[in-house]
Amino acid sequence: MNLWQAFKMAFKSIAMKKTRSFLTMLGIIIGVASVVIMVSVVQGQNKKSMEYFEKMGDNKINVNAYSYYDNNNETSQKLYDYCLSMSDLILGITPDVEVGQKMTIQYGAKTLAVNDWNGGNMDWEKMMHVKLGSDQYGVCNNYTLAGGREISYLDIEKTNAVCVLGSGAKDALFGFTDPVGESITINGQPFLVVGWYNSMDIQYWPEMDNLIVLPYTFNRTMNGNSSIGNYAVKAKNAAATVEAMTRLDAFLAGMFPKNEQGWSETGSYYVQSNNSYADDIQSQSLMQSLVLGAIAGISLLVGGIGIMNIMLVTVTERTREIGIRKAIGAERKSIITQFLIEAAVICSVGGVLGIGLGAVGTLVAGKLLLGETMLLPGVTITLGAFLFSVILGIIFGMYPAIKASGLQPVAALRAD
Amino acid sequence: MLIDIQNIYKIYHEGLESEVRALDGVSLQIDRGEFVAIVGQSGSGKSTLMNVLGCLDIPTYGEYYLDGTDVTALTDKELARIRNREIGFIFQGYNLIQELDALENVTLPLIYRGVSVFDREDMAMEALERVGMADRAHHRPGEMSGGQQQRVAIARAIATHPPIIMADEPTGALDSRTGRHVLEILRELYRGGTTVLLITHDDSIAATAKRVVRLSDGKVVADHPQEVDWK
Repeated sequence: MNLWQAFKMAFKSIAMKKTRSFLTMLGIIIGVASVVIMVSVVQGQNKKSMEYFEKMGDNKINVNAYSYYDNNNETSQKLYDYCLSMSDLILGITPDVEVGQKMTIQYGAKTLAVNDWNGGNMDWEKMMHVKLGSDQYGVCNNYTLAGGREISYLDIEKTNAVCVLGSGAKDALFGFTDPVGESITINGQPFLVVGWYNSMDIQYWPEMDNLIVLPYTFNRTMNGNSSIGNYAVKAKNAAATVEAMTRLDAFLAGMFPKNEQGWSETGSYYVQSNNSYADDIQSQSLMQSLVLGAIAGISLLVGGIGIMNIMLVTVTERTREIGIRKAIGAERKSIITQFLIEAAVICSVGGVLGIGLGAVGTLVAGKLLLGETMLLPGVTITLGAFLFSVILGIIFGMYPAIKASGLQPVAALRAD
Repeated sequence: MLIDIQNIYKIYHEGLESEVRALDGVSLQIDRGEFVAIVGQSGSGKSTLMNVLGCLDIPTYGEYYLDGTDVTALTDKELARIRNREIGFIFQGYNLIQELDALENVTLPLIYRGVSVFDREDMAMEALERVGMADRAHHRPGEMSGGQQQRVAIARAIATHPPIIMADEPTGALDSRTGRHVLEILRELYRGGTTVLLITHDDSIAATAKRVVRLSDGKVVADHPQEVDWK
């Protein structure tokens, strides 16, 4: 029996009983669609978060160290020195502090209000952030220069009034003109623009580009605080990130030893990386996918049992046909193949329709739940759901097929 | 000897009160190229005999040699092969598959035989031409008369050129004119060298065969050649 014939027969017998075949498929359609929708929505959510972390910079370690006693300068120096000693693991370190006070930034007629919570300027996508950093701010935070230069060591040393603009700040103040060499004012104090960064281009966090970086020595005047507690450290790769984090953790634990109660009296610290956030989110999302997928999979199972049921009915109905086929020389193998293919075809057609329904459902769910305009199921889940439905058809078609093939030709021919 | 059966029994509910002996010690030898009618009343066991001879049913006891092969020792797969290559069946109720058109029905045994895609359609068309049904190749059984369906069934039986044709009441559901046509086709096959077994309850139809085997209560009660008057 060749396969092409079996496929033709399968399509024919499905076409002859449209209503019944459709109802049988419905279980598979709903099952596949729900698996596709659930997994796709979780993956969409995950992608959204992951994009942020990837653009923010893989292998970026956030270190927070704050001493209770020494005004933090000594701690800061020690941390810096320690990081420099790990040059085999670390590409750079920069203080990473945000200025919290209310500010007005001006260039010509353009004005940006920063941290103005009462001005109604609460649109987070347009919010501007003034950051304090070093010459390595860009490297550590994954910004690349579009023009000009970074803050220099000398700028920091001399507290020069210079700044580097994120692309959001550049667009807001300068539009399409080159900002390098121009002066902006922050609360009236002029700052020379020495460089600007390329856009991060994160769809969900355009805010990432809304920054103005000043030498961190402005911390004293702008934040009213001379101590810096937060740092961004950029490691060379994923393995180096893990190693550097372990070492930093041990170093800071040595600096702020814990007492018997389990807390430190001298200072507090933490070491975190985007890698670990990303891993957390990924494993969380995998769990969600699995759990939701499994729940949806149960409906697929129910659909499969429906297939088995209908195939058993089909075998009974077509006993005579099986008899005829055996009388003219069909082997058991041929009969089994025929019914298996029929079950598999029902399941695959159901699977394809289910994927279609799932794609539409994913689009709708993406729009409603995630605010995505074009969320579509991934290739893996689509192929997976399709293969699963075919395999389901084969598994649940097996028993009826074997039952059909075992009939004695004479007994089968006698059936009405 | 093409067909050689020795003391064949087919017993249902053996040993019980309701025991039925459909075949009760039948022995029969049929040579290559014979035209044999197996005649008997309803319930005489003639259909059971055909089923056994056609490897559609397994006898309870007895020996069956088909062309020297011990059929009772064959596996399921080998029996399927014999049904496919050695024997062509013609049934009273045609037994065509309703979902397939005439050509597809006739092609089916060729598919099971493993004939290549390129040859089998030609072979099936040739078989349809031999029974005069080539012009109905793409009609489904439901769109044809009984006589036409039976001719398609005959085409299916002869498509693989089997050495033996077994016809179980082939004219039973047909009017006498189309019945005669079907018998003419069987005679034609006989003339071409095919061994033909015709099972019938009707003596006038049995009169077309060169040899008559009469069954009654599962036993052979008469077996003799006869003169035929073929016009």
